[in-house]
Amino acid sequence: MTRYLLRRTGLLLLAFALAVTILFVVLRVLGNPVFALISVGATDAEIAAAAARLGVDRPIHEQYFAYIGQLLSFDLGQSFTNHLSVGDEILRRLNVTLPLTLLAFTLSVLIAVPVGFFAAWKSRTWYGTAFSAASQLGGAVPVFWVGILLVAVLSLGWRIFPAGGFPRTDWEDPGAALYSLTLPVLTIALVAGSDLARYVRSATLDILGQQYLRAARAAGQSFATALLRHGVRNGVVPLISILAIQLSTTFVGAVIIERVFALPGLGDMLLVGIKEQDFPSVQGVLLFSTALVLVLGFIADVLQRIIDPRLRDSISGNRRTKAVA
Amino acid sequence: MTSRRPNRILAASAAASAGLLVLAGCASGGSADSSGDDATAAAEIVVGSQNEPTNLDQIFGGSSGVTEVFTGNVYEGLFRITDDAEVEPLLASETEVSDDGLVYTFTLADAAFHSGEELTADDVKYSLERFVGEESIAARKSQLSVIDHIDVVDDETVAVTLKQPSISFTYNLGYVWIVNEDAGDLTTSSDGTGPYALADYRKGDSITLDVNEDYWGEAPANGGVVYQYYADPTALNNALLTGAVDLVTSQSNPDSLGEFEAAGFEIIEGTSTTKELLAFNDRLAPFDDANVRKAIYSAIDREKLLDAIWDGRGELIGSMVPPSEPWYLDLADNNPYDVQLAEQLLADAGYADGFTFTIDTPDSGVHSTVAEFLKSELAKVGVTVEINILTDDEWYQKVYTDKDFEATLQGHVNDRDINFYGNPDFYWGYDNADVQNWLAQSEAASSVEEQTELIAQANQQISDDAASVWLYLNPQLRIAAEGVTGVPENGLNSLFYVYDITKA
Repeated sequence: MTRYLLRRTGLLLLAFALAVTILFVVLRVLGNPVFALISVGATDAEIAAAAARLGVDRPIHEQYFAYIGQLLSFDLGQSFTNHLSVGDEILRRLNVTLPLTLLAFTLSVLIAVPVGFFAAWKSRTWYGTAFSAASQLGGAVPVFWVGILLVAVLSLGWRIFPAGGFPRTDWEDPGAALYSLTLPVLTIALVAGSDLARYVRSATLDILGQQYLRAARAAGQSFATALLRHGVRNGVVPLISILAIQLSTTFVGAVIIERVFALPGLGDMLLVGIKEQDFPSVQGVLLFSTALVLVLGFIADVLQRIIDPRLRDSISGNRRTKAVA
Repeated sequence: MTSRRPNRILAASAAASAGLLVLAGCASGGSADSSGDDATAAAEIVVGSQNEPTNLDQIFGGSSGVTEVFTGNVYEGLFRITDDAEVEPLLASETEVSDDGLVYTFTLADAAFHSGEELTADDVKYSLERFVGEESIAARKSQLSVIDHIDVVDDETVAVTLKQPSISFTYNLGYVWIVNEDAGDLTTSSDGTGPYALADYRKGDSITLDVNEDYWGEAPANGGVVYQYYADPTALNNALLTGAVDLVTSQSNPDSLGEFEAAGFEIIEGTSTTKELLAFNDRLAPFDDANVRKAIYSAIDREKLLDAIWDGRGELIGSMVPPSEPWYLDLADNNPYDVQLAEQLLADAGYADGFTFTIDTPDSGVHSTVAEFLKSELAKVGVTVEINILTDDEWYQKVYTDKDFEATLQGHVNDRDINFYGNPDFYWGYDNADVQNWLAQSEAASSVEEQTELIAQANQQISDDAASVWLYLNPQLRIAAEGVTGVPENGLNSLFYVYDITKA
């Protein structure tokens, strides 16, 4: 296990280093931040001075090494446009994006588990089929479209929820903050929940057809006991990696949906950063997201190995066989 | 019997989901009431805008958003440009100009900064020097570079010496903020003399201005202003419809106006300084021939274009000068829509069979729609248009800096920018010695009448030469909820004074 952890950590760091480099190069090929700052009437000398102030007039490898040095001291730099610390900005924006992601994820699991289970359990009935068709449809709809629809009905139509925005006092009044997050959470949860329900359904179908479940039932255990004792433990292992992927997807969904609901989260920071060619902001947000996705994958892998000893054995077993051969 | 068990799991999950929703619902009820009460008690105006400043310091960015929120509200200049484009004294309570027009001596008003420090001549010297300094990329920097040096006479008096006479000097000063010399970094904080002080800056969301209780002038009519920013126009419209904002500073899509009118909102239409233009690269054949440019001009039905883009609002203009400027001439028909005339002019220039050219168009705003329209209009006279869509920063690189283009579309937002036609090195490369002389002389004119006459002459000439095709002048459309009054009508260079706005 230690060896596995070391190897897995090494891979994680390598992937991250690769992401840093690719991102750095791609951004610089795609645009020049100076042109997002100046306006018509700027002279060549002014443009050159602005480039020098931002440091983008230096050779790209110099900029790269300076950036890596900065990252190694855990500094994400300062925005080119608004001069705010990128690290602080990301932390501030997480006040919106993190609760949005976690609430949406929790709600999507709460939707997906009963729906998926029910669709599998009643798979031979018409309503079981209807449930699974609905989850197919829900998973296929673009998340922003669901957002627009909910706004049209629940905000503009019935005036139950605000159409967007987040309290300027942040979480000082948790009620107000939650209220403004309700529609975005619902939007993401509906789409992500439908998606997840399909996995839950197939996982459940899989378990229901397993020999061990029948054996347990034959041994006199009730359906629920058999399911909880044997089914859940077997079903949860593949589900962990799916949940990890799903959590990453929910995060990305949150970043997209922030624009529809005018929420000042990471998504807004990213989109405005791209528009303004604000390299430090764009890099900061994307590196943070990359790190998040990588770490989630890492945790899922490790968790699976802790829960299911067969995964551990298979690796060490292989090693041993190889050593013998 | 056993088959009922899973139902319980289902029921438990359903109950949990419902619980979460109920929780959210409860939270919503309470907060909606309390936030509503707060808004009324403070009589705070919430302004919705799409024009978020890139940063808070006017010398570090070309964003007009910073003018919209700060100029005249948080920071004041020595002079104020009114909504009708007049120049009024503000922080300069008295102005004396030497006979040669080179030395301006300003006596300062008895004003103080938000930090409590008195406004002194040192602050004025510091502010002007910083505006024209090396670090500055302010939009109006070049107009102020006429300043030679600045002398502090005493605490309340400052003397500015110019390199050459500049009749627009006081007008241009209207845009320059007087900042506190000791304020330090102004990109995220502020210290001005205006009726409002910056209370909160949430990048990507809002800027909150509190009333400056110790303001040296007349107190604002409202209890503070919040600028709420929306990246998405639909989100902004929704905010207005649901009462989250009281007014929007600029509506760029006329399609939704009917809906607002029907719902009892007030549509305020003023004049802007934003000119949509098809700029040729006048250095290149065939656009180095004025007849070709005039032919293109006359082949375009601008009335139809204005209808399509702005639903008939806005104005047709025939040159770079909008009606809000003193040297305006009605030139809308100087290059009339006349397809036969266009064909004739093309034939005279040796292009009876037409030609092909490329329009580089930024992907922002309405430009690409306008480009499609021009393509179909010019096809009627045998001219083929190819459309090349660029991002804004690509535009600055390819068109503005490298001048590597045949024709381009751009919305020129600044007031008094006819001067660009006096610079042969400007991106469109219009080169007419007379126009250059007139515009240069106009700046050195000894009276406003003389200045007006000279610029009007240049105005006529660039229109006669069809230096560019001035397609139309954008309307300035603002939408205000019922009971909101005192909203400035015009949008001169994005100025937006909020102190008269009230809410019933």
